[in-house]
Amino acid sequence: MDREKNTFEKALVEAVDEGLLMLGESGREVIYFRLKHSYALGKDDIPSHPEIFVGCLRKIFGSGARVIEKAVIKSLYRRLGLKFVEKESFDFFEYLREAKKQAGKDL
Amino acid sequence: MQRIYGLSVLVIVGLTLFYIFQGYYPDLMYFFSNAFPPVISGAAVVVSGLSLEKYWRRAKGSFSKVWLFFTVGLFLWFMGEAVWAGYTLVMGVEVPYPSVADAFWLAGYFPYFIALYLYVKVFGGALTKKTLAASLASTLVLTIVVTSVLLVPILGAEEDLVTLAADFAYPLFDLALFSVAHMGLIIFWTGKLAKAWFFLNASVAFDVCADILFSYATANNTYYCGHMLELLYHFGYLFIILAFYLHTREL
Repeated sequence: MDREKNTFEKALVEAVDEGLLMLGESGREVIYFRLKHSYALGKDDIPSHPEIFVGCLRKIFGSGARVIEKAVIKSLYRRLGLKFVEKESFDFFEYLREAKKQAGKDL
Repeated sequence: MQRIYGLSVLVIVGLTLFYIFQGYYPDLMYFFSNAFPPVISGAAVVVSGLSLEKYWRRAKGSFSKVWLFFTVGLFLWFMGEAVWAGYTLVMGVEVPYPSVADAFWLAGYFPYFIALYLYVKVFGGALTKKTLAASLASTLVLTIVVTSVLLVPILGAEEDLVTLAADFAYPLFDLALFSVAHMGLIIFWTGKLAKAWFFLNASVAFDVCADILFSYATANNTYYCGHMLELLYHFGYLFIILAFYLHTREL
């Protein structure tokens, strides 16, 4: 169980890292800086509080945050070896739950 | 942040008063009208260059390239302003239109458009098809309105082909910028980046109005250095500076 959790969390941290890279390295640094200083959330704590991460993105980018969220989710699915199927009714958290459930089966 | 808004209001009020009371200092006004644009457009290049320096780290992704295109576009506009100032202040040409300056200005639209397009493209997935269709429709309507507003006075002025082309090119190129810029505002409307996009859109809107008025005024031979419409160009550059400053503050 712990191994599953660790693999998932590690994949999510890496997916966030890769997803944010669409803003360039400095843009990514700014997001991590904001998370740390405004929300006391370190990069490695994102898997425990994804709602803070998403909230921070939406506060900066408005509806543009959805694009970054999708990039993170796609990267996460790829890292977990899962097939990403886009669902219109799904938001970041639902994709995350789905990935966790599917990864749980496979790991 | 409040300080930068205060400073901008001060510049806007100061410039407006300076233009209103130009009757008291016509020679100074002529000099200012031609010397100030390279200064304010140069400031825009510097602010854009600083953003470029910040975002261009290891050149990853199209987001970083956005700032290169913005800076190149603004640099070409600065060159346009500098060449215009050279014509008027050094060579003594009263209204150098059209001239080499226009080649720089018009060339500047291309990288500037690419910059806006690349930025919006990165976040384009956030736009719904309905919003996209409404945006395109409103741009089309605006283009038709602008063209019809300019058609009669410009064609009636019997200008040469190059002047005629320039008269239409500026407002239409402005609208091309607006067609992309307003999508950025829609995407980031509820976020902190909305402020930067608001000023970017305001700068384009001021340029649209300024270019329509300039085309109209030159067609009617009523344009002179120090014309009130120049304020719109100055405000346009000021808002670009403000937009880039706010962007680097927020991201």
